[in-house]
Amino acid sequence: MNTLKEIWEYRTMIVNLVRRDLKGKYKGSVLGFFWTFLTPLLQLIVYTLVFSVIMRAGVEDYYLFLFVALIPWTYFANCISVGSGCIMNQKNLVVKIYFPREVLPISYVAAQLVNMLLTFIVLIAVLLVSGKGINLMVWGYLFIIIFVETILALGLTLFFSAITVFLRDMQYLLSIVIMAWQFMTPVMYSVDMVPEQLRPLFYLNPMTPIIVAYRDIFYYKQAPELSTLLLGIGMGVFCMLLGGFVFEKSKKRFAEVM
Amino acid sequence: MEEQNAIEVKNLHKSFKVYLDRSYSLKDFLLRGSGRRKEVRHVLQGINFSVKKGEAIGLVGHNGCGKSTTLKLLTRIMYPDQGTIELKGRVSSLIELGAGFHPDMSGRENIYINASIFGLKKKEIDERLQKIIDFSELQEYIDNPVRTYSSGMYMRLAFAVAINVDADVLLIDEILAVGDVAFQAKCFTKLNEIKQQGTTIVIVSHSLDQIERICDKCYWIQDGKIRAEGNPREVHSQYLEFMAKSNIRCESDMDRKIDRHSGNQEAVVKAVRMINEKGELTDTFTPGENVRIEIDCFASRKIEDAVFGFGIFSLDNQEIYGTNTLIDKMPLVIEGDVTVTCQITCLPLKQGSYKLDVEIHTPFGFDYDYWRDYMRFYVRSTSTEAGVLHMERKWNHFPTKLDGEKEEV
Repeated sequence: MNTLKEIWEYRTMIVNLVRRDLKGKYKGSVLGFFWTFLTPLLQLIVYTLVFSVIMRAGVEDYYLFLFVALIPWTYFANCISVGSGCIMNQKNLVVKIYFPREVLPISYVAAQLVNMLLTFIVLIAVLLVSGKGINLMVWGYLFIIIFVETILALGLTLFFSAITVFLRDMQYLLSIVIMAWQFMTPVMYSVDMVPEQLRPLFYLNPMTPIIVAYRDIFYYKQAPELSTLLLGIGMGVFCMLLGGFVFEKSKKRFAEVM
Repeated sequence: MEEQNAIEVKNLHKSFKVYLDRSYSLKDFLLRGSGRRKEVRHVLQGINFSVKKGEAIGLVGHNGCGKSTTLKLLTRIMYPDQGTIELKGRVSSLIELGAGFHPDMSGRENIYINASIFGLKKKEIDERLQKIIDFSELQEYIDNPVRTYSSGMYMRLAFAVAINVDADVLLIDEILAVGDVAFQAKCFTKLNEIKQQGTTIVIVSHSLDQIERICDKCYWIQDGKIRAEGNPREVHSQYLEFMAKSNIRCESDMDRKIDRHSGNQEAVVKAVRMINEKGELTDTFTPGENVRIEIDCFASRKIEDAVFGFGIFSLDNQEIYGTNTLIDKMPLVIEGDVTVTCQITCLPLKQGSYKLDVEIHTPFGFDYDYWRDYMRFYVRSTSTEAGVLHMERKWNHFPTKLDGEKEEV
């Protein structure tokens, strides 16, 4: 409880770190902040070329099918693979200055979240231009699912960033894990393509219900099933509690082992 | 906690596990489990002190004595194994300057980032912004990216932010050496001002001088315990005396000699001694003492133009004095074992630690043997004279004789 209060006291720091992250990233480049929109757009063009011209998949508008899942996946993947180093990378701050340690993972995840929301602007533009359109009726679910994904991502970032301080290999290991994880999550295919008997196993993956829900909202323009949402919320909250607990237990020793 | 205290530290213990193998990777973990080679180092072994509101204290001690650890525990970067720390009010630490600065962002933006890391809220930073810019003297550059700043400008900005946090307790670690002399003076004035306003200050420094200028009280930490406390000047002279005699320093002297030694070795310095006026071998003196420097050397051939010299430096490498036998017009011809001595009849140095360089070279400056930082010596006294020198002096007073009065009488 005290920790939460203190994090709130340091909200200005979180805001400033997020701003530094987003603004500092493209400083010095000619197009600057515009890259935030340009990167996903170019990515989309590549996918469109590859999947509608060269390698035709059996799914209608496959590039959109992929893109709506890839955006939230990228958000999650960045949080895990890069975010796990967020304490280590700020070693200078951690060993020299006091502040609630949670600020670092929180601001990293928040910066990635803002990045994803900006990418959604591109996505919505593409959905409208391509004639696919959007269904505003199901957007209420969008906010819920963004929240759930953020809880999950933050929980795991807390967990892995704390572990990484004590075990440096974690970062490298995670970049492999996250690649495998992507193939085990219905990002490039739909759950229906998974053999029936393996499907329950797929739903043990906390990202499965989240990706399914995003695709429901943007691609199928329909409300996600309640069971999908509840499953996502359940696993998100569990990861958050686990990550928070591990972080809380280990944060006092960060400065000593770094 | 007592009412008038701002800091209370009770029975502080802290030990570290020092891992002797360099890195710890997954491979080690899998192969050896947690069986890493380690040793436990008890850095703090029961530190007790309390600081009154508005008081400034200094912590001194040689490297590794635990003073920085104490400060880190006060800052809550680390946590004690045993004992308690109580602090009243907002704590700010000047341990790291310019934390979180982004080189591509403007000075103004970096003020916000840096100040927020110290725990200031947006409104509080807005209020202080002008004060910070004024203090840093960077008005016209404040909207330029920090990467275009000189290192002096960078440190000025960083210090300006840190000093304007308005903490109730300010913890400072070895950072007062920022900027040029004028800016340093400004920082000192500001620190004193902050102290007058009732901020409690804790300083860790190797510069005893800085501590004497700001602190009301000083704690000397030795082997994780408080060895002495009280008036800074008195504590410091005990500390210097101890340092002069301790083995720790001698060991580090040996380390120093290894890489501070150059020349073609046709003549080598075998030993250097400093002798006090009682004829004793020592390295601790008092101001104005009669001191003799003796240099034993060995020349492998007959050298007809050897020049012997020595130089005295402060710990921050300012040359205080230097001379040699060429300057003093004393030609020397040496062969085999020779001892050269130089008598300094009245040592003109005030309290402090000094380095001694010794050299044998040709009149053209080509080194036979040159020892930089050959040894350290210490001058101790309880006098509070200022500057770098000690002068033999005598005060007197009498009624002023005016020319007019003379005529009347």
